[in-house]
Amino acid sequence: MKWYDRITTIDRRIIYLLLTVLVILPFFVKVTIPQKVMPQTQRLFDFIESIPPKDKAVMISFDYSPQTQPECHPMAKAILKHCFAREIPVIGLSFDPEAPGLAVDALVSVEREIDSLAARKEDSLIYGVDYVYLGWKSGRIAAQLDMGEAISGVFPRDYFGNLIDSLPLMQIVKNYKNIAIVVILASADYPIDWIRYPQTRYGVKVGAGLTAVMAPQYYPFVQTGQVSGLMSGMKGAAEYEKLVLEHGYARTLGNAETGMNSQSMIHILIMLFIILGNLGYFFSRRAKKEK
Amino acid sequence: MKRKIPLALCFIMGISMIVQFFIPHPASLEFSSVIYKWIIVLMAFALVLAIGNLIRHHGNKIHRRKEDWQYSIVTLAGMVAMATIGLAWGIDPDSLYQRIYLNVMAPLGGTMFALLAYYMASAAYRSFRARSLEATLLLLSAFIVMIGFMPFGQYLHPRFPAFAEWIMKVPNMASQRGILLGVAFGSIATALKIILGIERSWLGGKE
Repeated sequence: MKWYDRITTIDRRIIYLLLTVLVILPFFVKVTIPQKVMPQTQRLFDFIESIPPKDKAVMISFDYSPQTQPECHPMAKAILKHCFAREIPVIGLSFDPEAPGLAVDALVSVEREIDSLAARKEDSLIYGVDYVYLGWKSGRIAAQLDMGEAISGVFPRDYFGNLIDSLPLMQIVKNYKNIAIVVILASADYPIDWIRYPQTRYGVKVGAGLTAVMAPQYYPFVQTGQVSGLMSGMKGAAEYEKLVLEHGYARTLGNAETGMNSQSMIHILIMLFIILGNLGYFFSRRAKKEK
Repeated sequence: MKRKIPLALCFIMGISMIVQFFIPHPASLEFSSVIYKWIIVLMAFALVLAIGNLIRHHGNKIHRRKEDWQYSIVTLAGMVAMATIGLAWGIDPDSLYQRIYLNVMAPLGGTMFALLAYYMASAAYRSFRARSLEATLLLLSAFIVMIGFMPFGQYLHPRFPAFAEWIMKVPNMASQRGILLGVAFGSIATALKIILGIERSWLGGKE
């Protein structure tokens, strides 16, 4: 077998083994490569940075499932840290039925992290005052539109069964007039409904954190200003984590930084294998022509 | 009558919902709010149907001892167990329901999705060939975007991130916008055909 035939027929088990090693390696060998922040991530950060403290709330729609947790969960935690550090109230909700468990995990883990660092009691977070999680609702377009009139009409109770009107935060936040931006963290085409319906009718500002596969679809909306900022995949999450750290809203980077190193290693490996495959293809084709 | 009443209802509701969207009068908003609540309730019924269908499908499979029927027991048992645990002991952050979700469901979902990386790496190596000009362009742009979006891409060449960003913002955006416009016009045409009763396949059955 010629060398060029050999490099086009590498056993898939070797590829799998190399892939496994390269995914795991960055978790043990910590390397921090400075991230260049993309303009769309910076725009989302700047938008949230411009919201006055204790004024309008940020609504976060947690619409991702465990399959895309590595990409979207760090986004959720970074944006929550940013909001809570700036004393911006957060209202969470979900239209993906698989998402509530992850939404609760993101909210509670960030709350516990902040509470553990709080020097005074006033610095700790209180459910119902600093944040609320509304839970999941069917019929998302109808629900999104109806929240423009009254959030309590769509969600009479929160995820934990509390009456919405009994929560102090929800006595202030009645509808989109009290929402500065809706940030959709999704692994599917959820933000488009927010742009088409509540934004058209109520002028809701929309931001998004999407998986890298989904993000290119939303570049036209970023350009037109319909999407006020966009986190794209794990890179977007790592960039947001970096911005949150640099501005002193967090003490450490999140998981996206490590994930990004694993992802970069895999990208290099895939590129090397594609180059090998093409070299083999090119030389074997030339050899056939010469024959 | 069996066809005329649904067609008339579709026409009236379709036109009403289009008109109300552009009228911010309290009466119009009240009307739309009621309709939205109906839609939410109707969508919730779809969930009940889905659960019924799941039970029937897997129940049949177990009853007839079809291939891999044992997995159907796991599916039904999982559904009943999660519903029971959630209803009986609640869904608080420290509840058993949440712990099962985070420690069983989430890793399983993540594992299934992670397998894609292996298939993608193997498939890219075997089939991503520069066989034509179009394939070569696709390959080159994929390389530039991947390198440009990597943290150390900027150290390979300072212009890599900017070039990757240009690919995303110009050629990608132009094609995405074209697709979006096409889909939007198609949706408008289909919606109008349904509202006006030209497209009737949603009624089912024969003419």
